Amino acid sequence: MSSPNGHRGLVSEALQLVGAVGRAMAVTLRNFFRRPVTVMYPDTPRPYPDRFRGLLALTYDKETGEENCIGCRLCEYICPPQVIKVEMLKTEKRNYAKTFTLELYSCEFCELCVQVCPTDAIVMMKSFDLATADRREMLLDKDRLHALGLQWEPSWATGNRLRDMQAPPKPPRGEAKADAGTAAAKADAGTPAKADAAAPTAKAAASESAE
Amino acid sequence: MPDLFYAAVAGFAVLNVVIVMVTYVTLLERKFAARMQSRIGPYYVGPHGLLQPIADAIKLMLKEDVIPHAADGWAYNLAPVVFLVPCVLIFATIPFAPGLGVADLNIGVLFFLAVSSLEIVGLFMGGWGSNNKYALLSAMRAVNQIISYDLPFVFAALVPVVLTGSLQMSAIVSAQAGLWYVAYPVVGQLAFLAFLVSALAAENRVPFDILEAESELVAGFRVEYSGMKFALIQFGEYAHVIGTSFLGALLFLGGWLGPGPAWLGALWFLLKAMVIFLVLTWVRWSFVRIRVDQILAISWKLLLPFTLVLLLATAFVMAWRGTGVVS
Amino acid sequence: MDSEARKVIELGYGGNERLTMNMGPQHPSAHGVFRAILTLEGETVVAVDAVIGYLHRCHEKLGETLTYVQYPSIASKTDYVAAMTAELAYVSAVEKVGKIEVPRRAQYLRVIAAELQRIASHCLWLGTWCLDMGGALGGGATVFLYCIRERELILDLFEALTGARLLYGFHQVGGVRYDMPPGWDAKVRETIAFIDQRIDEYEAMLENNAFFLVRTQGVGVISRALAQDVGVCGPLIRGSGVEYDVRRAEPYSSYAEFDFKIPVEAAGDCYARYRVRMAEFRESIKIVRQALDGLPEGAISSRPGVKSVGQVRVAKGEGYARVEGARGEIGAYVVADGGPKPYRLKWRGASFSNLAVLPHIIPGHKVADVVAIMGSVDPVFGEVDR
Repeated sequence: MSSPNGHRGLVSEALQLVGAVGRAMAVTLRNFFRRPVTVMYPDTPRPYPDRFRGLLALTYDKETGEENCIGCRLCEYICPPQVIKVEMLKTEKRNYAKTFTLELYSCEFCELCVQVCPTDAIVMMKSFDLATADRREMLLDKDRLHALGLQWEPSWATGNRLRDMQAPPKPPRGEAKADAGTAAAKADAGTPAKADAAAPTAKAAASESAE
Repeated sequence: MPDLFYAAVAGFAVLNVVIVMVTYVTLLERKFAARMQSRIGPYYVGPHGLLQPIADAIKLMLKEDVIPHAADGWAYNLAPVVFLVPCVLIFATIPFAPGLGVADLNIGVLFFLAVSSLEIVGLFMGGWGSNNKYALLSAMRAVNQIISYDLPFVFAALVPVVLTGSLQMSAIVSAQAGLWYVAYPVVGQLAFLAFLVSALAAENRVPFDILEAESELVAGFRVEYSGMKFALIQFGEYAHVIGTSFLGALLFLGGWLGPGPAWLGALWFLLKAMVIFLVLTWVRWSFVRIRVDQILAISWKLLLPFTLVLLLATAFVMAWRGTGVVS
Repeated sequence: MDSEARKVIELGYGGNERLTMNMGPQHPSAHGVFRAILTLEGETVVAVDAVIGYLHRCHEKLGETLTYVQYPSIASKTDYVAAMTAELAYVSAVEKVGKIEVPRRAQYLRVIAAELQRIASHCLWLGTWCLDMGGALGGGATVFLYCIRERELILDLFEALTGARLLYGFHQVGGVRYDMPPGWDAKVRETIAFIDQRIDEYEAMLENNAFFLVRTQGVGVISRALAQDVGVCGPLIRGSGVEYDVRRAEPYSSYAEFDFKIPVEAAGDCYARYRVRMAEFRESIKIVRQALDGLPEGAISSRPGVKSVGQVRVAKGEGYARVEGARGEIGAYVVADGGPKPYRLKWRGASFSNLAVLPHIIPGHKVADVVAIMGSVDPVFGEVDR
């Protein structure tokens, strides 16, 4: 660290060193007087964005109070780590899910199951608070999933909204297109698509080969 | 007999004060560093973290003492004690106020400097006795570094001694009644700067903390220590840092001199020592560390000639002035 | 061919005792799980034996068992620090093989996501590099916390966009999955303006700092010939004087429409790579601004929203697509056989190729330089071990 130029170079080098040191310490000092960025969680609640991908839950229909899930198993097929297991229960009027288990400890929170659900039955909540002492409590069964759905606020993203957002714009059919996050972005349990012919045909569409 | 008794009591009192100071200085450092990093630091244990050091001390006392199977028994087990004793002994010569101290030796500064460098022995015992390559590497680096920096440290500390003409600490403080040595033109500031830099290095603080270098050697020579032995080593390190801060305050910042009544002197002394400690901490949390060969290069090629020339210049100035003998 | 570049350097026996030290998979500065068996003579490293594979998770096999619809979420886990570019590599490869169009709005969104991700990844790089050099208790930790503080802002942006903070699943074959939420545009502009100022602060702390310079200049020099011979990529090769950036060489996803410089430094040492990445911060900010300004309206995907797991089928063919990730050239080679899953997926990880240069440049340096060099190479072991 000695300079080859003799005294003149040494002094200027020393001054440069002092300047650099001073600058670095000035940055630290400036940060000393800034407000700390610490968020005192969980005493301070943390605001979740609209589309937060948190815990999974099953929903009920807003109007009729019926379960939205028709047991079509699309979520089971698409789940990459295969954590969902569904058994379908057929009745005359409509299908239900007899059992629905979701292994939350292996879930990747990729939202693909939400993406494919034709009836917006499975949604993600705006919370990730499910730390337990026993891993078996994270094996969610149908009752637990429904309970979670009532306990937390659901995220904006439901199957139909996501698919509408992604689809190439179709000619308007008198229905609002969700293009860039709709004005009606307030979270809803999702409209049942039962009246729509899309629901039963969604299962048939599972085997259709795409264009 | 009564003298010995008084000395023992004084020593005991000082030791307790040092222990309390060390524990709370760790909290001060943590809060100070946290604020510089946009965070809060210890907060939950006690109001604003005030009981955190107590909690840490209790935790360390309750921890299991893990001894590596192949550790060299005597060296490994005695190292923390051998490291700690010199670090605490330096407080024996520091007068906290006129007349308030354990032993105001007339070779005070010399005793301080000599004893404080004895910590290397404990350090190396720890590094060797741990039977761990990382610890050994760190101990070798430490011996290199501390020996190299003790020389500039001594020379920088001798500048106020030359200015005073006495090695006695209380005499040095009294001689600063008119002007603190840090304000002494050119010589004072340069000596203070050299003192700070060599103090940083002699105590293995960043940017010279190559011996512990967490990201390379994971705690250096301390890596195999846990529980109370680790606590003793930490205690020794911080005691050494604080002791050096006190020395710096005494030599350069006027010790206990300050406005107000005489009994306030100890408080001023503490404040000045804390200022030096905070400056060292500020430097610590602002810079990356430098490599060991660069550290040694700075010492031998830069600091040592610099402090030597500075000391000689001071001596010439004093001789030319014909003043400076205070008894 | 440069003979020096060809052989791995091993210094001759200097007569001193050699110590074999293991900078093991569990180490504060291994940047992941990486084992380097160092042979030391005193403080000088004489040979390096690198052992990888601790994070192998069978990505390429997963690529064969998961369909084109499922895999993009998994692709983000290869380079988990810069997930957007990793996913982009995979979907680009599938789109190339299947000749699938991507609408322009989706391309612009991909660019915005990739460049924001580059900024976030470089924040992490700078923080962890200074942490390695400065210690967990020291100046390094200060720079680390500042960088993470800024990275959190970008992760908040991604959270508003996709709902996730680290592994997004943002891309899908044919476009992207999420469109901008209302107000996101303004938030992005505000955030990158803020980060632009903070980068000035980092440079003030590090740029002319003698301690930093002395640790990084002249350390880990990769000569131009060596860089080209070993096949490093990204900031490593741009720090050695070769102006090569996939965004310029083979523009993908409408990068050709943006105006940005490729920072190149000639010195080849750690400081040069540092300067390249700091300049990349600024360039990425420029690109994001241009993309936001010129964002076209339209669809965000050329295919309807994913409704079933086998929805995307790609006809027989094979192809390789590469993107400029934060660490270098990430590539995915896909062999399709007409079904909903690839027949074979091969990842080219940027860090895997970059790590190959370590046995050439580390010998001759001290132990402390090993961490500085590793940090400037910036490996992410998800990419290396896949």
